[in-house]
Amino acid sequence: MSTNEEADGVRDLMLRSLDRIVEEKAENAAQRADGKPGFPADLWSALEEAGMTALGEENEGDLGLGNAAALIERAAYQTLPVPLAETILARRLLAKAGIDIPDGALSVAPPSANRDGKAAGVPWASSVAGVVVASGPDMLALVDAREASSPGFNMAGEPRETIDLGRARVIASAKVVDAPGVAEAEGALIRAVQMSGAMSRVLEHGLTWANDRIQFGRPIARFQAIQHLMAELAAEAAAGSASALMAVEAVAERSDRLAIAIAKARTGEAAGRVCAIAHEVFGAMGFTQEHTLHYATRRLWSWRNEFGSEVHWQAEIGRAIAAGGADNLWATLTAHG
Amino acid sequence: MPEFRFEPVVMPPAATSLRAEVRAFLDEEKAKGTFVPTVGAMVAADPAFSARLGARGYLGMTWPKQYGGHERSALERYVVVEELLAAGSPVMAHWIADRQSGPQILKHGAERVKKMILPEIAAGRCFFAIGMSEPDTGSDLASVKTRAVPVEGGFRVTGRKVWTSYAHMAHYVIALVRTGGRPEDRHVGLTQLIVDMKSPGIEVRPIINVYGSHEFNEVTFDDVFVPEDMSVGGIGNGWAMVTSELAFERSGPDRFMSTYPLLVEAFREIGESPNASEAAELGRLVAHLATLRRMSGSIAGMLNEGKSPVTEAALVKDLGTTFEQSIPEITRRLLPLEPRGGGNGQVYDGLQQLAQMQAPCYSIRGGTREILRGMIARGLGLR
Repeated sequence: MSTNEEADGVRDLMLRSLDRIVEEKAENAAQRADGKPGFPADLWSALEEAGMTALGEENEGDLGLGNAAALIERAAYQTLPVPLAETILARRLLAKAGIDIPDGALSVAPPSANRDGKAAGVPWASSVAGVVVASGPDMLALVDAREASSPGFNMAGEPRETIDLGRARVIASAKVVDAPGVAEAEGALIRAVQMSGAMSRVLEHGLTWANDRIQFGRPIARFQAIQHLMAELAAEAAAGSASALMAVEAVAERSDRLAIAIAKARTGEAAGRVCAIAHEVFGAMGFTQEHTLHYATRRLWSWRNEFGSEVHWQAEIGRAIAAGGADNLWATLTAHG
Repeated sequence: MPEFRFEPVVMPPAATSLRAEVRAFLDEEKAKGTFVPTVGAMVAADPAFSARLGARGYLGMTWPKQYGGHERSALERYVVVEELLAAGSPVMAHWIADRQSGPQILKHGAERVKKMILPEIAAGRCFFAIGMSEPDTGSDLASVKTRAVPVEGGFRVTGRKVWTSYAHMAHYVIALVRTGGRPEDRHVGLTQLIVDMKSPGIEVRPIINVYGSHEFNEVTFDDVFVPEDMSVGGIGNGWAMVTSELAFERSGPDRFMSTYPLLVEAFREIGESPNASEAAELGRLVAHLATLRRMSGSIAGMLNEGKSPVTEAALVKDLGTTFEQSIPEITRRLLPLEPRGGGNGQVYDGLQQLAQMQAPCYSIRGGTREILRGMIARGLGLR
């Protein structure tokens, strides 16, 4: 067996084991839909026991990021209401900073929502052992915010809380050059990977629905209008997923902010179209709390905004290319193959 | 569920030096003024330029040496194609021959025909046109009426083909003809024949396109003799030949690079310090382009491994043509609309106008967007 085959085998096992945990621990649809009932401790410990929450430490040129990304993508496909992606993200950042990584669930504060002594939009702040915060232009801190957080949720009902930084306990801090920029980019990469997973869920859901739903005496999949919408949905989802995969590979090899910018911009744009088409195809049926479509679509609407919207990253790409000069665009695009 | 994964393509080590070599050649050509970069990808034709590419070994790259090829990998060819398109160079004379007619003849042609034609294509001296559409046959390709009647030693072809790009420059046309059955028989009884454009009975009449350029032709066949061994893939196999050919031609960079030279000029016009909306609009296009390159390269890798990613190719063409059509529409939101008639910006103005007029053809040629979405839907199990 080659190294690649071995790696693929390990990854498949891991993903199958995640699916099994979902079946056993998260079959309750309400729990899967929404974090509002609180932190699902039993689901988290199942993930912890399976070793899935301890990924992300190896941050240079390794299988680590690829495996972590595959797991994050699958967890997003399963719309799991746990800070798995955030924990892996935090571990990567702490490893970069050389800060000891605590056990348990972790999170990261999005740097752009960090002002006036408050960090807003922080995933699961009150439920995790530590939150990574860019505490200065070149400083990264790990804080315990369990007693310093006020509640809040994103559009998908995932906890997005506000930390009063003056009240949070600093566990450790270390110098990281351009800490806010690094945290923002790493967070954007994770959200892009999650969007790839959630879009593949929406596509799957939509295909099943189109083939099952009968109107005018036949499955709506037989109508050309539906076929063309679903073809466009599939194309957008595929483009988003290709850009996310490309960024994961790039970042595993080198520091590549442009690849991350491209991935967040492309997945964010794709997510908007994918959700719009899916809801169109599902009609009124998909527009209820009771239906499961919104588990993925509301996450996509939220994630495309978090750690920089597509417009934010598009503008960064545009500025970078413009600064390099029109005639260097092609060299930049082809620099890595 | 059908999952479309666009895995990374591992480029052969030679690809990097090849890319630099092609780029240097193109810079040299531009400096000499042998071509001015233009939009359209498969529009500008210059037989002398094609011959220079042939002399440098950039045509028939993957074919066996015994047929004039260079036995390089499909991925090396991909790099060359991409560089030629990025430079907006005049590739159309040899394009069809190198991209699809040559590979088809290599795979399905008679030995005599391979020896006669392939080395000439690889040298950049022999050009092809495709005779598929007819006055009453567009997307519904199986309805062709052009007939080939068996005679001693071959066939006699009678009928009419339209939209035959560069037939006026081509040495051969590969025509989809009916060798059996009637148009109602659809896919049955179709054959692809290689017709020598010098044959008596062929008439080529220009069809001037919407922006005044002569690319299309109407080709009339009046009892044209075609030798028996000039079929591709044998008698009655035309439909299989055509569909496999289309799958190969759909995922290449020519399906998303058509207006790339306009994007470069837009960056030049806007300069090194774009405002927020300019930066976002242009950055969005770059994100799309980088993603399309990834998807297209990934398909090149699949084809290189002998896979047949038909649905993936249709996906890339659908996304790709939408992207190349959007470049003139988006850049005109950012830059002056009235031509300035002098000084800076003339190059941009010219490309912008041409791109706007050309854009409708991108999602028609090689299979319309609607046909492609139908194919994707089939791949998704919806029909």
